Amino acid sequence: MKRLWRDTLFKRLFFLMWATLVISHLVAFGVVTGRLGFGPTMFGSIPVLPSLPPTPGLPGDPQGAGVPPSSVGPGDEPPHGPFGGEPPPGLPGDIQMRQGPSLPTSSLLLDYGIRFLIIGAAAWWGARWISTPMRRLADASRRLGQTLGRDISPPRLDERHGTVEVRDVAQVFNKMSAELDQQFRSRGLLVAAISHDLRTPLTRIRMRLEAMSEDPGAQRCITDIREMNALIDSVLEVFRGAADGEPTQDIDIHSLVQSLADDLIEQGQPVSFSGEPAIARAQPTALRRVLSNLLGNALRYGERAEVAVRRDDQGVHITIDDHGPGIPEAQLEAVFQPFYRVESSRSRHTGGTGLGLYIARDLVMRQGGTLTLTNRPGGGLRAELRLPA
Amino acid sequence: MTRCLVVDDDAEIRSAVQGYLQRFGMTVSTAASGAEMRRLMSGGSFDVVVLDVMLPDDNGLELCKWLQQTCDAAVIMLTAQGDPISRVLGLELGADDYLGKPFEPRELVARINAVLRRARKGERNANAPAHQRTVRFEGWVFDRLLRQLVSPQQVVVALSSAEYRLLSAFVEHPRRVLSRDQLIELTRSAGVEVNDRSIDLSVSRLRQKLGDSSREPKLIRTVRGEGYLFDVKVEAA
Repeated sequence: MKRLWRDTLFKRLFFLMWATLVISHLVAFGVVTGRLGFGPTMFGSIPVLPSLPPTPGLPGDPQGAGVPPSSVGPGDEPPHGPFGGEPPPGLPGDIQMRQGPSLPTSSLLLDYGIRFLIIGAAAWWGARWISTPMRRLADASRRLGQTLGRDISPPRLDERHGTVEVRDVAQVFNKMSAELDQQFRSRGLLVAAISHDLRTPLTRIRMRLEAMSEDPGAQRCITDIREMNALIDSVLEVFRGAADGEPTQDIDIHSLVQSLADDLIEQGQPVSFSGEPAIARAQPTALRRVLSNLLGNALRYGERAEVAVRRDDQGVHITIDDHGPGIPEAQLEAVFQPFYRVESSRSRHTGGTGLGLYIARDLVMRQGGTLTLTNRPGGGLRAELRLPA
Repeated sequence: MTRCLVVDDDAEIRSAVQGYLQRFGMTVSTAASGAEMRRLMSGGSFDVVVLDVMLPDDNGLELCKWLQQTCDAAVIMLTAQGDPISRVLGLELGADDYLGKPFEPRELVARINAVLRRARKGERNANAPAHQRTVRFEGWVFDRLLRQLVSPQQVVVALSSAEYRLLSAFVEHPRRVLSRDQLIELTRSAGVEVNDRSIDLSVSRLRQKLGDSSREPKLIRTVRGEGYLFDVKVEAA
């Protein structure tokens, strides 16, 4: 229902044109008939369209502006009409007139009906005609957002058709989207090149450290190398668009979450799982990545993880609870920003790249789902992932 | 003695890996480019080739294909790109294993040994369904690279590592009774303890995921006093 009443360019144009044309016809008709000397009684016999402001001749004011009350509108017509109920007393002229030329009344009705429809159709078509370029622009802009940074060519608008303004806009838009696409591409290439050129020296350092493995500092260096490498991985993932090209499939969510939990349990991690059968449509590898990330966070900051899968009318939700200190309420949203770090409790000593949650939310949104964090009343953090049914 | 060829365009990495592998009793030659590798391959035979994906004169993936066609050396790909797509691509093109840079030197040795062990058992390059990436049984498709099952209703069913190892063992030995001891041997994995109990647990999980009832299982049958029997026909998918 809300959609129906939305203020759109199309509706504005449509109503403007329609109303203008209809009113112009009526006003012109009124003026012309008045000038040709038809009496007020004659004028009164013409059924007036509902869009005409019913100022004169309201039932309470039969003599108003010299127009008989029948001009109120078709809704009030039948009781006064030629075949209608009893005419109101005290209006003999009206009755006389109506009994005379009954044919003109119906043909006039037809005449008005046809005009009304044709004008309406023309206004509809005209409004569409004028507002279409705007809609195309909106569509293209939306697609542009989806293609940027991937191996899809950006959308183009037709630069050769339409009005001067439309062609201008198309040209500007095409130029803008090509430039954006170019920038995204070169940035992606740059990051890939940098990460390759970082990993080669990292490999050298790692090999050199092997020669001095007795040195206690060597182990710390190895840990640093691992962290740097994890950061490179995450950055690459952000720029590549982590889930590109992976097909969407029906996934047994229960099995997925259970197998991830089982793997962690096998490695001796404190993880528990409960759940009910649930199937959702998503990209399997992407979803697996998100869940591993959330489980890893829970274990890193929250000692242990309790995972649950539930299903309801809206879809599937997966909750991952931990027993850590949680996150201050004010920062629950901020942690989804890239490289954001919560000071104090979730300290930087615990590692992590600062991109995990950012990537996770991005991936979940691509599945049409949501990812939120809340502090549990009993303590600990809850990550909740919802996927549409 | 294991004969190993290390192909990398970075001189220091080349010599460091060479030195490290020699400590494990391997004979190691090195090549700095694709051309040099081809020359060395024609001159002598190697058990395993450690191949960097990015070489100045040649595409590592192409070289890998070439190696598969011309000789029977095992191939371990090294890459600094390290994204999941090139991993899948490398393994599909016939690399026996895939390792991202920077790697743990010990990990490289472990992978080399694992690849050679498989080669000795004659499990490499076999065209039998049991050794292909995806196999099919009873309408199910088992993807060993993605470690997942796809049900007859086209639903993706994820497997844990333990379930994956167990199903791999079953798929490689269909219609043969496998004792718990055999299964423990077949599903051994570094850093994980596998015992009777964990085998039983994995079997019941697998049955659950395959929709096989525990009372009258049709796919994974219990043979009293002997072990388990994967009672289906396994085909290449």
